Amino acid sequence: MLEALWNNVDYVASVVLFCIGLYIIIAKNNLIKKFLGLNIMETAVFSFIIALGVIDGGDAPIMGAGAHAPFSSPVPQALVLTGIVVAVSTTALALSLIIRIYRQCGTIEADELREME
Amino acid sequence: MKKAFVAALLILTAMPLLIGVAALPPHGDPDTPVHTHISARYLEEGREEAGADNIVTGVLLNYRGLDTAGEVTVIFTALMAGLAVLISHKKQPEGDAAYDAAEAAAEDAPVRAPVSPVVSFVVRLLAPFIALFAVYVIVNGHVTPGGGFQGGAILGALFIALTIVLGRERTRTLMPRLAQPWMQGAALLTFVGVGIVGGALTGYFLGFPADASLHLARKLMMLVLEAGIGLGGAAVFATLFLQMEAE
Repeated sequence: MLEALWNNVDYVASVVLFCIGLYIIIAKNNLIKKFLGLNIMETAVFSFIIALGVIDGGDAPIMGAGAHAPFSSPVPQALVLTGIVVAVSTTALALSLIIRIYRQCGTIEADELREME
Repeated sequence: MKKAFVAALLILTAMPLLIGVAALPPHGDPDTPVHTHISARYLEEGREEAGADNIVTGVLLNYRGLDTAGEVTVIFTALMAGLAVLISHKKQPEGDAAYDAAEAAAEDAPVRAPVSPVVSFVVRLLAPFIALFAVYVIVNGHVTPGGGFQGGAILGALFIALTIVLGRERTRTLMPRLAQPWMQGAALLTFVGVGIVGGALTGYFLGFPADASLHLARKLMMLVLEAGIGLGGAAVFATLFLQMEAE
């Protein structure tokens, strides 16, 4: 088990990053910090998917002078580019909502908002 | 109590993930399904078939063009939703009058926080180079790492930096009122336009002509798509920032 984990230490790093993001979402009170946590979780997933496509000694999947086989897989990279754009969109919408909440309630602390109800 | 609960939850999340990760094939192994299925074909034939040296761009704009069109729709929807959330609190008559009033209010807004002269100087100094870099990233997306989304993000960041340093009155001239909706929808409109052109050439919406003699047409379609995505992305970022900054 430990040896397998050591072989896949890149994936383990993604798991650690994912848990850091989850911790921030649960433990922090500030809505902006919560969304930073969500962004960290997204980054963890993206780095995991990218790491899946890496090949030992592989080159970037860009043909042209100096490129040599083997190439890393282009599909995860294209998928992650899509994912990043969606993540940016959700972040923009979330920040807009947070600004709105602040204008309406004067605070962005989750516990204070809960008390206001 | 709460800390113990959080710790337990994190452990409960991490354990299955770690067990799953340990069971995956070793990192960098060339015989995993990621490398043996569709990627191999993309890497072998993508260059001629899709018309881009950068296979990632080829996958993004050619093989999965519809996917990317959907993605562009997502950004545009996020912009619409963000604007709806931020504007709706102003209780003013609808239509252009509301827009004018909002703009007038923004112009009358109290003075901004002063900007450090060092920051101001550096941003002014670097702005043309950043703009050049953004354009380079956009138009070279098919031969080097980069593309419309990346270049658009750089352009948008440049716009935000300039707005912070110069103030919104001066940067607003970069996005004239009449051109604004077209710029915000540029990515989507380009996809529709190129899709129809592709449809006329191949019979499929967003189809790229596969014929070897139409190599240049494929390149041109990609370039137009990249430029549209870049411009649209930058305009979306800029608009959202302006709207968030307007108090």
